[in-house]
Formats: sequence, structure tokens, C-alpha cells
Amino acid sequence: MRKLELYFGPQHLGMVGNFSITLNVEGDRIIKAKANPGYLHRGFEKLMEYRTWIQNFPLVCRINVVEPDHMEMIYAMAVEKLAGIEVPERAQYIRTIYLELARIASHLFGLWAYANMLGLDTVAQWAMYHRDLILDLFEELTGARVYHIYIWPGGVRRDFPPGFKEKIIKTLHSIGSCVPDYNDIFFHNKLFYQRAADIGKLNREQVTAMGGVGQVMRATGMKYDIRKIEPYGAYDKVEWNVPVRENGDAYSRIMVVRDEMIESVHMIFKLLDKMPGGKTYTRTPNPFKWNIPAGETYVRCESSRGELGLYMVSDGKDKPYRVHFRTPSYSHGLTILEKVLQNESIADVGNIMISLYVVAPEIDR
Amino acid sequence: MNHSMKNQLLSLFTEIQIDIKKDNEMIINAAKNAIIGILSFCKSKGYEHLALVSCVDWIEQKKFELVYILSPYPEQEPEFSKKEKTNIILKTRIDREQPEIVSVINIFKNAEPYEREIHELFGINFNGHPRLTPLFLERTYKIPPFRKNFDTREYVKKVFDEIPFIDKKEASK
Repeated sequence: MRKLELYFGPQHLGMVGNFSITLNVEGDRIIKAKANPGYLHRGFEKLMEYRTWIQNFPLVCRINVVEPDHMEMIYAMAVEKLAGIEVPERAQYIRTIYLELARIASHLFGLWAYANMLGLDTVAQWAMYHRDLILDLFEELTGARVYHIYIWPGGVRRDFPPGFKEKIIKTLHSIGSCVPDYNDIFFHNKLFYQRAADIGKLNREQVTAMGGVGQVMRATGMKYDIRKIEPYGAYDKVEWNVPVRENGDAYSRIMVVRDEMIESVHMIFKLLDKMPGGKTYTRTPNPFKWNIPAGETYVRCESSRGELGLYMVSDGKDKPYRVHFRTPSYSHGLTILEKVLQNESIADVGNIMISLYVVAPEIDR
Repeated sequence: MNHSMKNQLLSLFTEIQIDIKKDNEMIINAAKNAIIGILSFCKSKGYEHLALVSCVDWIEQKKFELVYILSPYPEQEPEFSKKEKTNIILKTRIDREQPEIVSVINIFKNAEPYEREIHELFGINFNGHPRLTPLFLERTYKIPPFRKNFDTREYVKKVFDEIPFIDKKEASK
């Protein structure tokens, strides 16, 4: 059969985000796939070398459009570690609740993308609506809907407003009451199951060899979660489980995402119950005169896509010397995607890519 | 675990300097030709996850520093609520005038895009890498853009004649 080279994205309907793949196809089968990132390269890591420690916050949260909160957290963690700042316990709880809300919002956004791509538009609209309810909470807490800059070196910018706890509980109950509807229309829907089961299959050896993290790894039965391995925030203060699946295909990955959302809701309720009083902020020096001692550090946290790391070097001045983000989509989108797409059909490219949870801005930075 | 590994590494390799921090993070400084050996040793000891390959431009010392960050995958049930770090940061310095180092993709497959990125942004050559093609950038630059002697403002001025806002602000002073 005739062999063709096919450009998939960035304007293709099945492509979500600024990313393209060059496919070598024979008929409907893909022989070879080449990922082309770089449509959204803004050079943030270089720009950050020109800005002071605090000025960098508006940049870090724009690295990943879908979940800016984990980016703030990782940057704040690195600054705190280099400067030796302690975070009050109440701030740790607030951070953890805030990050879990962000995880649910990000997963709902991912659900929107997935359902939208498969043509199940009703689910997509529901997910977007429920994400909006969480954005309303963020708006009340931080004053912004998407880029909040709420986590700060030394704590969080302000305490919960009065009555906020009840609002979180009410919102999460209203989202949680829709889980059976989501199950009926999407997760247990035969149409969806037939599209996603046995697609983009990966076993544990392949995932570990290619540096997969997050859902991609947990869908193969491995309990790899930074929140458990290297607890930060208040994740070690409450009991919770790491959801896993065994099959390693697209369906398992999306089911892990569903279980994670439910687990996050339970975790937020437990954290709200145990929340201590006290300060939410440790005073840091004047940001214009803040020199951080020389040194380097690697910190990591679990974003909604997997292990998010930050390697940061300080040379003792008021600006970082070098910043390098280890984003989960990097290995998922560049190494694993190229491997998984081999021998799949063209119709499943978008399906596989979204089930791997690839977000292009995170790759390009 | 890290302390026994430290002794083994010190007995196996010369020109190596190991530092274990308070929270159990291990920092290894090694010579350029030893990294393949150290990485395969660490991999055989369970450090199978290469989290990141990074590069730092130490322009005053005329060196590039390559950084490899490794961590282990946990057993089936990880030891929960352990506050210790389990990372290894392996660093090696290479000459800035002759930026060449051997590629590690035969040991860690996911190093491929990282090395491509460093080749593009820092101009370092990775011997044995099959695909050192551009990854992010649209055009080519005389100085690779992430080196410290690449001044972004100077570049913008040369290409676009002015820097919006900043030029106006400085003229009004």
C-alpha cells in the first residue's frame, strides 16, 4: 500500500493544544510518529534569570495553563528550601486543600478535552460547568480565576474568608452528586469503553524504561505517587489511597483519573476537619533586597499529570541563576507518545494523546 | 541505604566526590568520563528513574555543568510518611570551549529529548545521540540562547529595533 507522510496538528480537530505530530502512514496504520513541540516555547526559564525571586511568580504559573497552582507550589517549595523558610502548619493545610481543588479542576478540564475529542459533547459541557464551580471558589479565595499566585514563599497570601469552608463542602457535594451520572454517560458507557479499551497499551517495563509518571504509571498497577513517597504540605496528616488500575490502556488511565478525583474530594473533607488554627504566613525579607544563599536543590511534587520537579540554582544574588522544570508531559509527549502510536490507526491518535494527558505548554515552557 | 552506596561508589570510582545532605539527598560530583559507569551502577542499585537532565552555564569558571537527577521507583507498597529524600544529583563539569559529552540514552531512554533540548539551547554535543535535531526553536542563533552570554534584550534590540515599554521608560528618565 502507498506510504504517506501526514501532518497531524496543530490545527487538526483531533489535536488539543499547540502541538503537532508527523505521522508516516501506510493506509490507516501508523508506521512511525515524530512529535514536534515548540509552538508555545516562551523561554520562561531564561526570562526567570532576569527577574527577582518574587517577580517570577507570574511567569511560573503560566507554564502550564491548565494547572498553574502546582507550578506555584513547586517554585515556592524550591525558594523555601534554598532560603530555609519554615511554613506554618495552617498554611500547609490550606495549600494542600487548594492543590487538591486544583487537581479536581484540572482533571475536569482533562475530561472535557477527552470527551470533546471523542464527540461526547454532553459530558464535555458538564465537566466544564463543574470546573467553573471550582473556579468560583478560587475567585473568592484569591481574586483571580485561572492564574491565582496564591501560594507564596513562607505560606499563602491570605487566610480562608469567613464561611469558605462551608462553600467548599457545598460545591464538592454538588459535584460529587453527579458522579453516578458521569458513570452512566461516560465511564461505564459502552461507546466510550469500545473506543478506549486496549488502545495505547503500555506495560510496566515500558513505562519505567521511558520515564512515565502519574496516571500512565498508576494505570499499570504501580503505586508511584510523590504525595506518598516524599510527602509535602499536609499529605501525610490524613489517610488516603493511591488509586491504581492494572491494564495500562487508555481506559485504565481515564479510570485512574476518575478515582483520583473522588479520592481528592474525600481528602479535602478530612483535611477541613483536621485544620489547625494559627498563622498562615511566615514573614519573608523585602522582595527587592532578598538575596538567597548560594546552593542548588531539586524539589518535586505530584501535579495532576504526574511528577513535577524543579531544579534550581542560586548564586547568592537576588535572582535565580538557573531554573529547570521537569514537567510530566515531557516524557509522556516526546518519548512515550512516539512509541505508543506505532501500529495504531489514525483515528486513535488524539484519543491516545489525551489519555496520556499531554499538555503542550508544559513541554515547551 | 545511601551511606552504603556512598562507600561502594567511592571504592569503585576515582575522581568522585560525594556529599549527603541532611535530608538524605546525595550529591555526586564526578569527572566527565565516569558518568556512564556511575549511572549504570546507580541504575543497577534501583535508581531506575531518570527524572531530569539539566545544564548550568558557569561562565566565570568557563565550564558547563551537566546535571542528572535519579530516583528509585518504590516497591509495590512504598514506605509511606517517610520525610527523607531519595534523590541522587549527579553533576559533571565540561569545558566551555569544547562542549562535548557522551550521550546516556543507551542507559536511560528518556534522556533523548532532554539531550536534544540541551544541544539546542546550550550548544553541547552529545556523542552517540542519533537525533540532535532542533526541538523548540524556530531559527538558529549565533550563540545558543540559554548560554549566559546571550543577552535577550540586546538580541531584541538588534532584531526588532526597539524594546517596547522599556526603551520609552529609559528615554523619559
